[in-house]
This record gives sequence, structure tokens and C-alpha cells, in this order.
Amino acid sequence: MSNLLSIFIVMAVINNLVLSKFLGLCPFFGVSKKLSNAISMGAAVTLVMLISSLSTSVIYNYILIPFNIEFMNIIIYILVIASLVQIVELTIRRTNIALYNALGIYLPLITTNCAVLGITLINAREGYSIIESMVSALGAGIGFTLVLIIMSGIREKLEVSDCPKSMRGLPIAFITAALLALAFLGFSGMM
Amino acid sequence: MILVIAILTSIGLACAILIFIMNKVLPAESEALKETEKIAGCLPGINCGACGFPGCFAYAQALARDKDLIVTNPCMTVLQDKKMLGDLEKMLDIKIDPSSMNKKAVVCCTGDPETIGNYSGIETCKSANKLTGRFKRCPYGCLGFGDCAKVCPQDAIQIYAASGRNIAVVDPEKCTGCGLCVKECPNNLIKLVPADTKIVFLCSYDSIKNIPGREKCFRGCLHCRKCYKACEHDAIIWNKEKGIPEFDSSRCTL
Repeated sequence: MSNLLSIFIVMAVINNLVLSKFLGLCPFFGVSKKLSNAISMGAAVTLVMLISSLSTSVIYNYILIPFNIEFMNIIIYILVIASLVQIVELTIRRTNIALYNALGIYLPLITTNCAVLGITLINAREGYSIIESMVSALGAGIGFTLVLIIMSGIREKLEVSDCPKSMRGLPIAFITAALLALAFLGFSGMM
Repeated sequence: MILVIAILTSIGLACAILIFIMNKVLPAESEALKETEKIAGCLPGINCGACGFPGCFAYAQALARDKDLIVTNPCMTVLQDKKMLGDLEKMLDIKIDPSSMNKKAVVCCTGDPETIGNYSGIETCKSANKLTGRFKRCPYGCLGFGDCAKVCPQDAIQIYAASGRNIAVVDPEKCTGCGLCVKECPNNLIKLVPADTKIVFLCSYDSIKNIPGREKCFRGCLHCRKCYKACEHDAIIWNKEKGIPEFDSSRCTL
């Protein structure tokens, strides 16, 4: 149990996907302009991470390892994640319009996002079991959502601040991201 | 080698079959979503996000709810592509005239009334407007701190240089009609007008009890109705509620 907890905390804050692994930077800058969009995007990414971690760790542990073809993991993961996201989008779209409006429009944007692919590859590299993979995906997803929410909150404030013209928009967002990453560096001493 | 190919093929095949089965098993999608899908088909589909919506499909959803969005918040990629524009017109059953969207901003204040007090707070129109009430004699006029000039991506708005007075002036040559400045002005002085309009009312009081007149502003409207009486083509319509003239540009012969 304490092992699972430590995996969760390591993935959520210490090895945060965005701020210390630098994965998923495109949604980090693209969808962090408004808080509401950031929350939806974070939820969609967490959902996709959970689903893809489950399926890829099953495939890794029961197909790739027995046949001794672990080197094929990237290509098989892309295939599996892309089709699963398709199925999830299809299901949400046909059954629940409200949920589709909240999450569905983000799903095509993150089909093979590097954060989603990254977490499955990290799971494989660390040799996590299926449960451990799920916990690490949940942690990574929540860490991603957390950073996206912090960033969008800061950027909403920055919009109205008195900022030099040449730094407005993306430049100041990059500097903010750097300072945020520096702050998250403080977590690295925790474990 | 053959084993790898076989496994990859079988996983791909399994995924394909799964998608096929899900497609058959799940209930058909709702009519509204199908309609939206058709509208999204007329959009560029590059998910650039320039319209402010997260992706083209979200824009199509908003468009399905409110057709006027194509005028108020147009997709610039569609406007530049004749074929896409034609498809979208057919789909939404409306006529879109790109030239009518060619608008310019004007600042509806030309006077620089004398100041009646000193303001030494944060130098933006918004804070000056909120904190002090007015430090210029006319309660409607341009404050001249240039909130609008700061947001203009084209540098089309200048405060002092163009007019020699402490008010904002839009350079019609540079203005692209993006409307960013309209939202900035705390006094709602900036309007978007069709680019070919000849005549604009450049004073903007909103109560006949408080007409700028000569005592408040040298260039203020006197509420004399001379313009209304002088026009022979009925292009000037008198708005009795607000007591200001309005213009019907289709009748104007200027």
C-alpha cells in the first residue's frame, strides 16, 4: 500500500510530467488560457491515461514480455492508444451528450499526446504491474491537471496585469512555466 | 521477425474489429450532433483555435446554436476560402457577405474638455473611470490614457500625436476592424462601423438631461437638431429616447 502511495506522489508532484519530465507541453500552453478549459482538458487527459495505462500494461505484461519483444512497445502502444481513444470518444458521443460537450472535444486533440504515450512508456521502463501502472497513471493525470489549473489561474491573472508589450502572451507564459518548474523542483527532496 | 509482424497485425486487427463492433452496438448519435457534424465538415478542421473555441468541432457546436456567430466571431480561414464559405452558406442557409464584415473602429469623441481635477492614480482609463468618477468636465468623453491603444495589434490608435488633443484617434488605414479596442473602453466610446460609411455621430452622450453642449465641451453636440432638419434624404433618424441622431447609411447620398 505504501508502495502504491509513493508511486502516486512521485508521479503527481515529484516527477511531474509537465514540469520535470517536460512532456505534454502543447496542451500545457495551448489549453491553459482559461480555467474552465484547463479543468476539462485535465480530466480528459487523466481519463485517457488511465485507459491507456490499463490496456498497455496488460499487453506489455502478457504479450510483449512472454514473446520477448519489448522493443516493439512504442509502435504497439501508439496503435492501441489511438484505437482506444477512438472507442472512448465514440462511446461518449453516442451515449452522453453532456459529457461529450465537456470532455469529448478534447479527446481527438490528445489521441497520441506525448504525455499519454510517455506515462505508458515510463510504466514499462519501471516494470510496474497492472495495479501499479494504474496508480501511476492516476497520479500523473492528477499532477497534469494540477499544473494545468495552476498555470491557467496564473495566466488569467497575467492577462490583466501591466506587462511589457513585447512579453505579453506566450513569452511571459514561458517564463511563468520556468518559475513554476523551479518551484516544483522543491518537491524532489521529498523522497 | 515473423512473430513480430504477426503480433502487430493481430493487435491492429483486434482494434479494428473492436471499433467496428462498438460502432454497430452503440445507439445512433442524436440528430443535433449529426447536424453539427455536417457544419464541422464545412470548417477547415485544423483545430487552430483562433476563433477562441477549443477546436473546429466546438466552433461548429456554437455555430449550430447561434448562426450569427459567423458574423460576430468569424472563422478567418473560412472567410478567405470561397469554396468553404459557399458550403457553409448552404449548410446554415444564410448569406454571408465578407465585405460587410469589413469594419473600422471609430472613437465617438472628438472633444478634449477642460479638466476639473487632478488624477494621479494608475494611468489606465479603467481605473480612472472606476475610482474618480470624472476629472474632465464632460462625463462621457474620452479619458485619453489609451487603454484602447495598448491592445491595438496594428498600432492604429494614437492618443496625442494624431489630433494634438488628449483623446484617442483611430487611423482608418491601419485599422482592421478586429474590435479588441471596443471591449477596452470603459465609456463604450468606440464603435465598429462599416468601412464605407461616410457619416458617423462623433459625440456619445446617453441622456438628454446631460447634454455636453458648449459649456462642457467645445466640440460637444448641442442637441439643436439642425442636422436632422437639414438632411433631405431622411438619412438621419432622430432617436427620441436617447435624444441623439442615428444614421441610415443606405439613404445617405454623400
